[in-house]
Amino acid sequence: MATQLPTRTTNGNGQNSNDSQDGENSFAVKAGLARMLKGGVIMDVVNAEQARIAEEAGAVAVMALERVPADIRAQGGVARMSDPSMIKEIMEAVTIPVMAKARIGHFVECQILEALGVDYIDESEVLTPADATHHVSKSPFRCPFVCGCRNLGEALRRISEGAAMIRTKGEAGTGDVIEAVRHMRTVNSEIAKAKGMSEEELRVYAKEIGCDYGLLKETAGLGRLPVVNFAAGGVATPADAALMMQLGCDGVFVGSGIFKSGNPEKRARAIVQAVTHFRDPKVLMEISQGLGEAMVGINCGDMGEGERLAKRGW
Amino acid sequence: MSATGATVGVLALQGAFDEHLQLLHQAATALTERGVSNTKWIFIEVRTPEELAKCDALILPGGESTAISLVAARSGLLEPLRHFVKVLRKPTWGTCAGLILLAEAANRTKKDGQDLIGGLDVRVIRNHFGRQTESFQQSLPLSFLGSTPEKASGTPFPCVFIRAPVVESILPHKKGIQTEEASKEDMVVAPSKAPVDELAKEELKAQVEVLAKIASRGRGRDNFNNTVIPREEDIIAVKQGNVFGTSFHPELTEDPRIHVWWLTDVLKAVERRKRYKSC
Repeated sequence: MATQLPTRTTNGNGQNSNDSQDGENSFAVKAGLARMLKGGVIMDVVNAEQARIAEEAGAVAVMALERVPADIRAQGGVARMSDPSMIKEIMEAVTIPVMAKARIGHFVECQILEALGVDYIDESEVLTPADATHHVSKSPFRCPFVCGCRNLGEALRRISEGAAMIRTKGEAGTGDVIEAVRHMRTVNSEIAKAKGMSEEELRVYAKEIGCDYGLLKETAGLGRLPVVNFAAGGVATPADAALMMQLGCDGVFVGSGIFKSGNPEKRARAIVQAVTHFRDPKVLMEISQGLGEAMVGINCGDMGEGERLAKRGW
Repeated sequence: MSATGATVGVLALQGAFDEHLQLLHQAATALTERGVSNTKWIFIEVRTPEELAKCDALILPGGESTAISLVAARSGLLEPLRHFVKVLRKPTWGTCAGLILLAEAANRTKKDGQDLIGGLDVRVIRNHFGRQTESFQQSLPLSFLGSTPEKASGTPFPCVFIRAPVVESILPHKKGIQTEEASKEDMVVAPSKAPVDELAKEELKAQVEVLAKIASRGRGRDNFNNTVIPREEDIIAVKQGNVFGTSFHPELTEDPRIHVWWLTDVLKAVERRKRYKSC
């Protein structure tokens, strides 16, 4: 049940679409790029060669990082922003947008990524958080931000801070889609709940889930998040990607799922096709054939609470 | 004008196709309210050749042009799209990524090049203004819109440029492909197609009209290591016969004026086709 994202949407700060918003830092320009990525797949890549494979497969953007989440999990230690020279190499290798991750609350990493000229910054729970209390104030940046969420309150807090795009957190590096589904369904059901509320009830609900009342009211009116919302964290197959699309996502991030699989080129192409033709089971059946081995994966149910990345951020 | 029906498709492989549908509905309402036409408009998403075959006109939305062209090829849509634009010569409008796909020549494409549909005798330069941090919005008077009941002529239009291309040069019309362009390094060109009938041939005789320009902006940095030829103005909207292209995104605004203008043009084309068939 993908719901329409009207061209007039705001981020609750009165930073509205195009009314007299000329310039570089308008919310319409930041959220606009996310709209251009809709119906597409954004792939994690660790070098220029992988970035080229992703581009040839039809990725709409790549996420440049030193280690994919599955390796961050396996190797442990502190995960930080990638070396700018490595991100630069990827930026030079492809013509599609390049995104990069900064640690939660690490606004200097964000300043560095903006100076580097990346197209989107992901303030990401996949990296080790730098601030135990605060997320980055994202509105002053010219570079747009995407942030993860597990529920409606978290999504709206990030949008209030200036995020121009949202994704589910899911559970990165597992290849298990259950958490992404849980987060998407939670956001959907909380929006449905808000939709049926009176103004008084909405004020109480905003307090309860810890978000801005105006933004909640707008969301309830729209019946969806006021920015583009992608699925992320555990997508490993074309069927997973189409599942998330049918649940109402606007597009899909695939992290470890591609380059930790047996045949990355073929799998990447299949996931791209799946996101375009997500409602066509016949196409999905055809492209799901002979993809080789999927990433091995970790069952989220067997995971200790301390190992969960989605718990980072608030 | 008599009551006619027209089906307008929006290529829905990837990108901001839904936004175009929203604006098309707004534009159709505006046309009806103005009493300009009582056309019965049908707006559809196009993902298959069967859906394309239903269309009298088509919009190629903003998105990632490389992704759209790859997915189109793998979905068996690339040749039907070329047939639609260049053989049938039906009205087609491309915004941003769509403009790139409709150009006969494009540079700064990905390393292995990319497939173009073609239709406009222009060379497009991708990501002209730079990366996302150089994206911007600028309100510009678009004189081709003329005056409308809602807005006077010259009322600025909020033009949103996102990693936008511009038309770098107008090419002379060639029988066959743009051979001179094809010989240039890092340049891709579209394949040539013959128009289906006399009416389609008429469309092909049309010259490229430059509809809008923007004062050139100094680029903050050059992330693509390409040399930039300094110019005073950059071309951001062109029309040639049945094909229209804008480097900015009218679908990201709430101003339906360009959609209204284009639908009026579509209507004329549909009428022409109808008259041609009946005689």
